[in-house]
Amino acid sequence: MIKRIITLTASLSLAACAGYTDINIGVDELAEARAAIADAKTAGAERCAPKLQAQAVASLYWAGHELEESGNYDAGDHAEEEAMLVARAVAKAKEAKAASKGACMPEIIKLSGIQFPHDSARLTPAATAILDNAVKTLQKRSTIKVEVAAHTDSSGSNEYNLALSERRAASVMNYLGTHGISSSRLTSKGYGESQPIVSNATKEGRTANRRVELRVMN
Amino acid sequence: MRITLLLFTLFAFSLPANAGMFSTIDDRANQISAQLEGNNSYHAHLARELANVAVEEKGQHDVTAALEFIRMAEDHAAQAGGSK
Repeated sequence: MIKRIITLTASLSLAACAGYTDINIGVDELAEARAAIADAKTAGAERCAPKLQAQAVASLYWAGHELEESGNYDAGDHAEEEAMLVARAVAKAKEAKAASKGACMPEIIKLSGIQFPHDSARLTPAATAILDNAVKTLQKRSTIKVEVAAHTDSSGSNEYNLALSERRAASVMNYLGTHGISSSRLTSKGYGESQPIVSNATKEGRTANRRVELRVMN
Repeated sequence: MRITLLLFTLFAFSLPANAGMFSTIDDRANQISAQLEGNNSYHAHLARELANVAVEEKGQHDVTAALEFIRMAEDHAAQAGGSK
């Protein structure tokens, strides 16, 4: 009896220490979910509906895990959970695909806090500190290409604001380019006052609207 | 004999615990969440979702599955590039 207990204890310990093999999502039972996720991805869901697509993919992997545990999709204690996870993966992927139809806004990497001196595109020390973090982000996400998009508030004429935002966008792009980011990954565009995020009626609103952001283009 | 068995049992179960298998899934999930604050990319969302699955599996006492899912979550968090 004692030997059996020792053997059982040791087996449990080894099982807990054992590595887990990669989750298999290539089985037939997951074909519908895989196809729905692939469709959504083709429609641009990773960019246009990233949360929904991520939920679909996570559900697919979870279903794959449950399937491995039970060994049979139609039987076992996990059958109901597997079916629910597969259904969720399909539903989320279809939602993601639907949300990706037509034009969708690009992912935006906010550069919160970048402000320029009045009528200037000169980068302040505070701005360069923020841009140094942006450089690190772009180095980590080495496959993305970004548009440096600069915006102004509504003070002044449209033409003046457009020109000022173009100079500021170019200034930021130049900084990123001279700090290790390949110029082939960078473009710049000034939007002037055309895309406010809040009302320009207050000082706080105008400060918020004067901003620079990185738009992920791929 | 009973004492030997007790000690052996404690030792055997302390190995995975000492390796962090019982105590760090939640910590690692929280770290991912903090690391990706403000990041709304696909990989960031997927990292969060997989970390949630890991925590859920740990709650169901499937430590090996929890470890696999948290490892996948960390891979995607790395691809997401951290916080913004």
